Amino acid sequence: MNVDDPAMLDILRRCMVARIATLSCNGRPSINPLYFVCQSGRIWLGTSEWTLAARNVQADARVSVLFEVEQHMRSHRVLRISGQASVRTEQQVQRSYALRVARKYLLTPGGIGNYLAHLRQLPSMHQYHAQSAEKGRACVIEVIPQTAEWLEL
Amino acid sequence: MKQVTRNIDPASAWDLLERVPRACLCFACDHGPQAQPVVLVWQDGRYLVGIPQKADRKPEPDQEVVLLIDEGVYFFDLRALYIRGQVKQASAPREAPAADGTWVEVVPLKTVAWDYGTLREVSDER
Repeated sequence: MNVDDPAMLDILRRCMVARIATLSCNGRPSINPLYFVCQSGRIWLGTSEWTLAARNVQADARVSVLFEVEQHMRSHRVLRISGQASVRTEQQVQRSYALRVARKYLLTPGGIGNYLAHLRQLPSMHQYHAQSAEKGRACVIEVIPQTAEWLEL
Repeated sequence: MKQVTRNIDPASAWDLLERVPRACLCFACDHGPQAQPVVLVWQDGRYLVGIPQKADRKPEPDQEVVLLIDEGVYFFDLRALYIRGQVKQASAPREAPAADGTWVEVVPLKTVAWDYGTLREVSDER
């Protein structure tokens, strides 16, 4: 399916953190908040191969993802997209994802302000990312939407 | 060996339970994983979860679930409580915010918390 409803596209554009539900090979549930971008009707969520989210997707491709606009939490309107996911590790995908993530999360007043407010922690952040890279490659969980629905709380 | 960790003592994130920025429940159902936004009331140390009445799927009693409470948008603001547990039947809490919901209790088996604003070196990854 294509997510082409204007209200759905709007929430995908404005939401900053998606929460992706996955199942392990034993059927155990997990849910993780991840950064994401939209790419040609698909959703790319960034993580690393060693994480539970990525390992689960490799075991069971079915996912359920929640999106809401953080600045308007009182609206209690949430978009849920269910679909099939795969783990992408190609360099071209990584580069494209990294550029889009930088534009969305870093090269913005909020993103720059957040880094400036934590300058002393930047070395720890770099070390944290380096540790992650030692455990496994960065990857993108690519979700192909199959159903989309509005949920009200 | 020193490691940088994001993990914190869950007790340091209990403020998330008192003001609940956003909460959702995850469980397995016949069509795969289900992510469901929920209302959370932390009352007397119990995790009472309100699921909207019109939710198409709900977890069964004793089913394994994960309850996620998280906040933040930018890297150093990201915080979360991740609670793996079992669902038990429960009655609506006092002053339940959602009158028409189904209420369950999540009995925790394992709780993890993280806060990227507190990245720090520790001797062993916790």
